[in-house]
Amino acid sequence: MSATPVKARKARPKRSTILTIGMLAAAAYFLLPLFWLVVASTKTTGDLFSTFGLWFAGENNLFTNVGNTFTADDGAFGQWLGNSLLYAVASALGGTFLAALGGYGFAKYRFKGNRAMFMGVLGAMAVPSTALAIPTYLLFSQAGLTDTPWAIILPSMASHPFGLYFMRIYADSAVPDELIESGRIDGAGDFRIFFQVTGRLLTPAIATIMLFMLVQTWNNYFLPLIMLNDPSLYPVTVGLANWQGQAASSGGASGDYIPLVVTGSLISIFPLIVAFLFLQRYWTTGLVSGSVKQ
Amino acid sequence: MTPRFRRRTGLAAAAASPLAFGACARRPVEPPAHVSQAEIDEAMRTPTELDFWTWVPGIEKQVALFEEAYPDIKVDVTNAAQGAGHYAKIRTALRAGRGAPDVAQIEYEMVPAFTITDHLLDLRPYGAGELEDQFVEWVWAQVSGKDGEVWAIPQDTGPMGMLYRADIFEEHGIEVPETWEAFADAARALHEADPEVYLTNFPPSQGAFFAGSLWQGGADPFAGSEGPVLKVDVTSEAAQKVTEFWAGLAAEGVVSTDPDFSDQWYQAANRGKYATWLTAAWGPVFLQSTAASTSGKWRAAPLPQWESGDEVAGNWGGSTNGVFNITQHPIQAAVFAQFINTDPECTKAMATEQFLFPPTKALLEDPDFTGLELEFYGGQKVNEVFAQISATVSPDFQWPPFNDQVRADYGATVGTAIAEGGDAVAALDAWQDRIAEYAEFQGFTVEEGS
Amino acid sequence: MSTDTADSASEAPITPRIGRIAKRGRGGKGPRYARTGYLFVAPFMIAFTAMFLVPLAYAAWFSLFREQMIGGNVFVGFENYTRAFTDPQLIAGLGRVALFFLIQVPLMMALALFFALALDSALLRLSKTVRLAIFMPYAVPSVVAALMWGFLYGPDFGPIAQLADKLGATAPDFLGDLMLGSIANIVTWEFTGYNMILLYAALRAIPTELYEAAAVDGAGPWRTAWSIKIPLLRPALVLCMVFSVIGSFQLFNEPSIMRTLAPNIIVADYTPNLYAYNLAFVGQEYNYAAAVSFVLGFVIMAGSYIFMLATNRRSRS
Repeated sequence: MSATPVKARKARPKRSTILTIGMLAAAAYFLLPLFWLVVASTKTTGDLFSTFGLWFAGENNLFTNVGNTFTADDGAFGQWLGNSLLYAVASALGGTFLAALGGYGFAKYRFKGNRAMFMGVLGAMAVPSTALAIPTYLLFSQAGLTDTPWAIILPSMASHPFGLYFMRIYADSAVPDELIESGRIDGAGDFRIFFQVTGRLLTPAIATIMLFMLVQTWNNYFLPLIMLNDPSLYPVTVGLANWQGQAASSGGASGDYIPLVVTGSLISIFPLIVAFLFLQRYWTTGLVSGSVKQ
Repeated sequence: MTPRFRRRTGLAAAAASPLAFGACARRPVEPPAHVSQAEIDEAMRTPTELDFWTWVPGIEKQVALFEEAYPDIKVDVTNAAQGAGHYAKIRTALRAGRGAPDVAQIEYEMVPAFTITDHLLDLRPYGAGELEDQFVEWVWAQVSGKDGEVWAIPQDTGPMGMLYRADIFEEHGIEVPETWEAFADAARALHEADPEVYLTNFPPSQGAFFAGSLWQGGADPFAGSEGPVLKVDVTSEAAQKVTEFWAGLAAEGVVSTDPDFSDQWYQAANRGKYATWLTAAWGPVFLQSTAASTSGKWRAAPLPQWESGDEVAGNWGGSTNGVFNITQHPIQAAVFAQFINTDPECTKAMATEQFLFPPTKALLEDPDFTGLELEFYGGQKVNEVFAQISATVSPDFQWPPFNDQVRADYGATVGTAIAEGGDAVAALDAWQDRIAEYAEFQGFTVEEGS
Repeated sequence: MSTDTADSASEAPITPRIGRIAKRGRGGKGPRYARTGYLFVAPFMIAFTAMFLVPLAYAAWFSLFREQMIGGNVFVGFENYTRAFTDPQLIAGLGRVALFFLIQVPLMMALALFFALALDSALLRLSKTVRLAIFMPYAVPSVVAALMWGFLYGPDFGPIAQLADKLGATAPDFLGDLMLGSIANIVTWEFTGYNMILLYAALRAIPTELYEAAAVDGAGPWRTAWSIKIPLLRPALVLCMVFSVIGSFQLFNEPSIMRTLAPNIIVADYTPNLYAYNLAFVGQEYNYAAAVSFVLGFVIMAGSYIFMLATNRRSRS
């Protein structure tokens, strides 16, 4: 389907034990904080601060913690997970669609301003969104969008120029002009050609971009922090940060939020890891065929 | 929830002028001189939804009691964020002119930040003027304007005291220090006897602790600031006294300087690195849940004094409920803020179930409250200790109209100097300069003291 | 990062190919298809304009005003920009992220490159497991990453400090003098895997004929990596580096979360982005904050441009 060169590895060199050990050590470094997170999720507040961090305490409190995480604040955590899922999936679907159309357009059509527009989109990445937050908030508020899911989904769809960039490169090499030409000879319109023929050639890139947009929106913290005020609309990142703030700043009996933050963090990274594991074949193929050709 | 306007002005029109955003989509309420009981009664029978932003856990209890008393009013509680994040959200919503709450939790130190921008509703016409007698004098002073305006209703307070580890004190033969001098001596002796243990931790970035310390030390750096005139004097003798004290102990290395409410600090509190926590009246119950492994070992006492025999305290924390003047339901909002903070059942639940330290005279004398014995403190009547401290807080302490900036500048100058053993008194000058410079940028007329 | 030794020889086969792809591939010729081209890019451009350019333009307009607590809103022209260019807090922050960029990015890219080459070399056992383990941190939100590392860094009771203590050593002062390095470690942890995957994918796409020639010449796997693979990776490396320029100069999440652990090290102006945030949300200097972020944006654009220019020149010479 794609132009992926399949490597024939005829003469396999001998496996290197030293390299393997070195790489396993590196892998251990990358897994260490996650191991801490798993260990910490099994502890009570008291154990968390009074036992050795990288090993389990006497009693396993994991199930209690998980239970409390999902029942605290009337089940807010489950709602946050659902919101994250909604925002991530909606903006990944919408964003990928826009990027696929746009990238294909930029790659396959000559029109005035093609290059200028494309470079403009890339250049815009340089301006940090952090301090544009206030103007953006004021505009969105004027349009009645703040404190609604749209305030997250719409900007997430359009403000990741990487997707457009990747799609353009991919479409450039994966879609032969001849295919478009022959479609036209058959009398098909260009959009029909795209949706029925050429668009399909973009599938690996679409899977890749969708996954990366999914991750970006799922992990986004700043935008929802600014745009949303209603905790029942929070995604899981902002919700966890809210609990962490709650743990430290509300006086009274609020220390109980600490294990919730830890356990909630662990639960929040599961969906993405699972998505990456299951979709591994698709996104690696997509990256391989899209990456080198700059 | 108040109705959300969904007028689609369109992005282009909206972008035309930033001045358009200066003007609020909702016009602030002009407070009437007096609201009659009949008007109040009628308003409270009109079906209304109020937005209430707070981060007080369990406040739903008071809200339920209010809704029971006024079945036509529905209150939506939102815990959007805490502290700085909470105010940032309120500010942006107020600027945008929509989405801001009717009633919000506002700490005492932030009340002037919302009066300078003219966002708070004077609650006097709604009956708040008559509440003065119910509250402790210094607390009421914190919510009162120059001409007797009532900007917010006090909810809880944080008179400062000392929680100490009785077991560590006993082991090292330390008497509970009554003066800061004795405190300093004990700090040196303890750290020498056991280098793993510090008499206390000075949290270098905790501007609120430092402000409370200045308060106890008799400094009142922003006294007399009014409207466009900002008076600032953080380099006064009293402020230098407090600063030199902590900078000295930190430089000697006999107190630690860990940031508070961090992992490091929680762990240290659990493992007995600190023999005291200089904190406020909300501290005892907080510590109980975060340092559970040290149960039974702690006791409470007043802060050490600058002059032997004095009984003076500062305040750290506590909140009020204020009403924003963009509200469409000023009467209902004002009645709500007053009800949950003065109704006997509401306030008693706050004090005895949610462990908010009360600002009302009635509760501070209520044996159900003061008589509470806490296991964690070896059965000590901790509330009684803090109730007595509350009576010793000075009413003279004024907050600046941009407290968050003052705090940030404190951390960058004085806090850092103390933590890193720099010249802390010189850092006071730097702090003063930064405040003055910022105030000028914001258009204030700055009068620097002494 | 690159080797000049074998450049001319090894790039010869691929450069024309890339050139050809770029020149070819404009399927729509003539004005009729130009219109179709506009229609294809219109949805993205409309969304991009509404969600990004309009707020950007509004922010630019916004940055020409000064709104004061006392005295209201006045038009000040470029005053906020002249203030920014001489603002020692902004300049110090820019210096700090530049230093961060110079240390962290080469290190991360070297690691990512090494891992990618190792995975591609077929010398490795368990390569799939290793690849996933290294990539996994990318799926962790930076909020959670900073939370985890913050705990591990704890100076008295953090696990690293406790292990060091048991061994009779002193753990480095992660949250003190080493803070910039500690943040660099977090960022490296988060993004090495991401860069590794991009480079690895690029390696997999290199046509095998190129290796076979080398194998005939008797080149071992290391030699092949050094003389053939790395030069061919240049476009992918440049791409990763440009992303890293942006990432470094916009550094925000990690320092802002680590701030609670070391508030006196990470001050409000630690990075330019953090500074802009604090100007807006603590100091309520919204207009100046917008100006500062535009200045930062220009610095990033200039930096990326210079970087690309430099690498282009080098590859041509």
